[in-house]
Amino acid sequence: MKPFFYTFLISLIAFSLNLSAQNIVKGSVTNKTTKEKLLSALVVLKNGNEKKMSATDANGNFVFENVVSGNYQLIVEYIGYDTIAKEIEVENNKENFFAIALTEKNNSLSDVNIFGKIDNGKEYSSRISEKNADNITNVISAEAIQRSPDINAANVLQRMSGITLQKNTGGDESYAIVRGLEPRYNNTLINGVQITSPDEKARSVPLDIIPSDILEKIEISKTLLPEMEGDAIGGTVNMIMKDAPDSTLFVVSAALGYSNIFFHRSFTDFSKSDIQQKSLNERFGSSYVAQPGDFSRTNMEFTDKDAPPNGTATITYGKRFLDNKLGILVADNFQNQYYADNSVFNQIVPDVRNSIPAISDVSNVLYSTQQLNNALTLHADYKINDRNKIIVNNVLIYSQLAQARLSIDTSIMGGNGGRTVPGTGPISTDYLSLTNHELLENLKVEGRHIISNHFYFDWAGIYSDATKRSPDRADISVNKKIDTVHTTGSINGPYTFRITPDYFDDVTRIWQHNDDKDNSALANLSYKNIIGSTLIDLKIGGLYRQKKRYNLQDEYDLRPTVDPLSGIKTVFTNIQDAQWIVYTAKGTYDYDVNDYHAFENVTAGFAQAKISFKKIDLFGGVRTEITDQGFTINTPYPGNVNGVDKNYTDVLPSILFNYKLNSKTNIRLSYFKSISRPNYYELVPNSLPSISSSNTTSGNPFLKHSIADNYDIRYELYPKGEEQLFIGAFYKKIQDPIETAYVGGSDIMPVNNGTATVYGAELVFTKYLGNFGITGNYTFLNSVIYSIKSYTDPLAGTTNTDRLEKRPMQGETNNTVNVSLLYRDRNKRFFAQLAYEYLGKTLSVIYPIYGDDFYQQPESFLSFSCEYALNKHFSVFGKFNNLLNTATYDKIHSLLVTKDVYYSNFLIGFRYVN
Amino acid sequence: MNNMKKQKFYFLLLGTIIALVSASCTKKDTTKVITPTVPPSNPIAPGNISGFVKGTLTSGNTYTITGDLTVKLGDTLASQQNVTVIVKNNAQINIQGVLLLVGTKDQPIYFNSDANKPGTWGGFQCDSAQSVTIKWTHIDNTGGPDPTGSPRKTLFVHAPINVDIEDSWITNGQDDIVRLEDDAKLTILRNTIQCSGSTDGEAINLKLGVTGDVAYNVVYSQAGTGVKLETSSTVPFPQTKVNVYNNTFVCNGWRRGAAEPGRGVSVGLNAVGNIYNNIMVDNYQGLEIFVDADTNNTKYGNNLFYASIDNFTDTTVTPNVSIPLRSNFYPGDGVGRPQSTDIISTAVGNNDPLFKTFDGKVSTPNGATTSNDYHLQASSPAFGKGNITYSTDLGAYTSDPSKSNQH
Repeated sequence: MKPFFYTFLISLIAFSLNLSAQNIVKGSVTNKTTKEKLLSALVVLKNGNEKKMSATDANGNFVFENVVSGNYQLIVEYIGYDTIAKEIEVENNKENFFAIALTEKNNSLSDVNIFGKIDNGKEYSSRISEKNADNITNVISAEAIQRSPDINAANVLQRMSGITLQKNTGGDESYAIVRGLEPRYNNTLINGVQITSPDEKARSVPLDIIPSDILEKIEISKTLLPEMEGDAIGGTVNMIMKDAPDSTLFVVSAALGYSNIFFHRSFTDFSKSDIQQKSLNERFGSSYVAQPGDFSRTNMEFTDKDAPPNGTATITYGKRFLDNKLGILVADNFQNQYYADNSVFNQIVPDVRNSIPAISDVSNVLYSTQQLNNALTLHADYKINDRNKIIVNNVLIYSQLAQARLSIDTSIMGGNGGRTVPGTGPISTDYLSLTNHELLENLKVEGRHIISNHFYFDWAGIYSDATKRSPDRADISVNKKIDTVHTTGSINGPYTFRITPDYFDDVTRIWQHNDDKDNSALANLSYKNIIGSTLIDLKIGGLYRQKKRYNLQDEYDLRPTVDPLSGIKTVFTNIQDAQWIVYTAKGTYDYDVNDYHAFENVTAGFAQAKISFKKIDLFGGVRTEITDQGFTINTPYPGNVNGVDKNYTDVLPSILFNYKLNSKTNIRLSYFKSISRPNYYELVPNSLPSISSSNTTSGNPFLKHSIADNYDIRYELYPKGEEQLFIGAFYKKIQDPIETAYVGGSDIMPVNNGTATVYGAELVFTKYLGNFGITGNYTFLNSVIYSIKSYTDPLAGTTNTDRLEKRPMQGETNNTVNVSLLYRDRNKRFFAQLAYEYLGKTLSVIYPIYGDDFYQQPESFLSFSCEYALNKHFSVFGKFNNLLNTATYDKIHSLLVTKDVYYSNFLIGFRYVN
Repeated sequence: MNNMKKQKFYFLLLGTIIALVSASCTKKDTTKVITPTVPPSNPIAPGNISGFVKGTLTSGNTYTITGDLTVKLGDTLASQQNVTVIVKNNAQINIQGVLLLVGTKDQPIYFNSDANKPGTWGGFQCDSAQSVTIKWTHIDNTGGPDPTGSPRKTLFVHAPINVDIEDSWITNGQDDIVRLEDDAKLTILRNTIQCSGSTDGEAINLKLGVTGDVAYNVVYSQAGTGVKLETSSTVPFPQTKVNVYNNTFVCNGWRRGAAEPGRGVSVGLNAVGNIYNNIMVDNYQGLEIFVDADTNNTKYGNNLFYASIDNFTDTTVTPNVSIPLRSNFYPGDGVGRPQSTDIISTAVGNNDPLFKTFDGKVSTPNGATTSNDYHLQASSPAFGKGNITYSTDLGAYTSDPSKSNQH
């Protein structure tokens, strides 16, 4: 593998030296009468269908790099000024400088249409978005995403300031942790609206099913404005899908890759052909009595094979029709990936005699996962006239996952005897096969209307539906025991090993499906005016969202047949010959505790005002959110709470202050209040004891939503172009944070743990020196939360007391560093990026014993990506991830709890652009 | 020999004369107490019952539970002696209040399913009960699946309450029979638990800070372990601390298969046990003290271990496996070791506890019938060898009738 990689790298560098003459176009934009330099004017350089866009900097200057010589149209637009379109010629080896002077529109200032024309889907750069935003944001653009080593939204996010990712077991990263706050404290939006989750219990959407190729940009808002939904304490992740272009766009890209772990091990596969999509109960009704022969065996027969290569393909087509009134963009991305995880999991128990945790079981778990994602996005906008526009965005994502999990567990201590000498002990081998089908549909229809010169109205209706179907999740646990036989009869004498036959305890077969449906409507009215040199911007609006969600589950338990004479259970040899009886012959469909219906209705209204002076922007407002949240279990279980209906109203003020030190520098101060709602399933107790452990998992009807006060300060410097320097700090005080805890010894339930504080500092920078650039960010985090843990005092003897433990919040990473070295040649035919990521110590799991928690150990990742343009239309690219073969380790103190090994992976492909 | 017989005859004659003389001269007081007939509180009418129920099941009646039955917090479900309860539809009895089943030796209480097959009803789910008392009650064929598809325990308590189970019979259950957790205070005396657990489950499974006594019980042919003591893998204190003494454990631990052998008694996961005066015969494994038990505070001794055969041949395995019983008295993977006060058989016939009747069947199916009688013959080596803190004798049937198992 390695020689190949270097060859590839060297050939790319060699290509890059083969430069062709390309030119720089510079210019300035001024007010024709006052000669005042105009900041943030839109500048478009157009040659037929090809178009480059830029905006003027604080000195009114703009620059286009890598322009091929020829004739162009230079268009400059600015609010309140007449648009200029100028034919220019770009010549080789010459300074191409164009001074543009704009004329103010011929009407008095108070009559100026403040809103200009309806936004046509222009692409402003990320820096301009960040600079002109009312709040504190970080933005990553399509261009940066395309050139990064990342193939899905989760990968992209991990490179952004203040973001880390929560990993799936055996899979890719899926949920965003913003500023050290768990996914529950953040919200995930597509095109600015909340999306439903296909996960049966969680609220957030798994980000690994959203391909990066369909994204226009990702915005992280770290402070909230009243017009934004208030349920984000860490931040809001807004994934904006691609928009219709001004000229015909046709892009095709395809790539092949491989997960290098498969050079070290096989891919474990199983047959999906016999999997029944519906459970017996769903097929034949609730009176059907399941027979042993009703359960397929081929999906529990595991075969090792060589993993096929990974593939991804994207096709994007966009055009404007009907005299540019109608814009259409269709993008489809298909990904088929094979990945694997070699995992070690050591079960930990308290060792009271030594007052430290000890390992009771050692497990080796091999995951083999195939994930197929297809994402189809459709954007259409219709510009009725300069003042009215209708936009339709539809995102349809299908994800199919097939996973085989092979786990081999050896007891060191515990209920079935432990290990006496190396090689002995009870050994449990667990085989699991599961398939998931997830479908996420998100339709947003919106309208933007300039009612008059000062009034702007926009509205949107959103339908969002996420479903997941997991048919026949099949799990079999096979046991054997290895003992010593002392050949001389003496316990200390010589011994041989005795290995028992294999037995299986039971086979569980679970059919599960869930659906999460949202209907939302929102409307906003804005008023803008300029009085003197002061801009006044008022906005009011409201939102109503109705959510309905259900989960249904049907479980069948198969148990081994017994010898009729002795009653001893039969030996397991292989899955085809295994004999079983159906213990739960009618399934659990009619009474399963996981069958629930949940609802959440949110009614929100806001009013906000912005006053913009020459040097200072003042922004303030308030949002009110009324939540009605609840849940019912389908079959009431006597003695338990069967449903919850919770109502709460939050008044969420937001105040922001922006001091524009100069045209390149902002200093921002902000305060806002925000909330985090409990997950749907967390409210209802479901304290059925688990058969396999002494722990029960239950909900908590008295769980309160979390409320946070958030303070931010940020210094922003925009030297030029893509360059930036942000230095910020924040402080958050979270009342009633929600964490999972052990209550009363053995119940695991979500609880409100008093008050937590989080503070941190962030640094973001991008700097270019000639063809080289460096971009990076650093985040320091410190959170403090107090929770009750069990405390053992060895000196005082065997006493157990509750003790308040001070610790970080779950998911907090103390130090995060991202540094990328960029190289781009002058004509932009070659681009390379070497990305380094460091994650410091992360609190991953809360353990119920005082002083003992699971910490993910500091780790470093290195990835590389590059792109080379063969000609005007074709380019080739490569993405190489986890070059250091970084493995993830979780430890309690120095005791290893989990280890996950993924190895590196790569993807090589081409892109065609019309 | 003749002299001996003559002596006996004279003694007998003398005794008879003395008795006759005494009887003719004295007459003991006889007192008959007359009490008013107190009607039961809230008598429950015989017939079908389900839903929320409180009151008393009255003597001589048969009740049919047709759906889950719940006794609310503050309510009591009581049963007089001589009551028969038939459970249909895999129903269970949920106790949030008080359960008080008081049968008598001559007129016990019966709970069974209509199917009369192992694993056909839900048992007593007393997770959050206020107290549980079960005396002289037959509980048969529990262990049907719960709403997660798992077999239900016969009696489940997860609360720091008093649990008193005396003189009762539990037969043909599934999974765990008596499962107590969370600081429950228990008194489990003189019960007979037999033929339970299909291919898994312990007879008496105690976790999470349970304290009390388990004594004078007979546990026969349980799939898993007779008495299992553990604390918790996450909350080491309060510890489970139980005295397990004078029980008779016979033929336990076979049906779960060789990979998960059951034990007569096991102590693990930071639990503390005082294990004395028990008789263990033909269990897969005898007394296991796991390495993770609180071995500093766990004490054991004066236990009798016997195997009625040298090896058990497991014919479910090809080729058949021969399991040596005597080497499993203290299993090699535990840290428990023979004590000087133990009585340990070294061969078939050596230190046989001499049950009144024992068919010698080592492994039998869940729900099998048995006619074994674990009373000890007079010449049993189990007499007089006990740790006198508990009893002078070993096993459930001792020479002290006030303490011995009454079955």
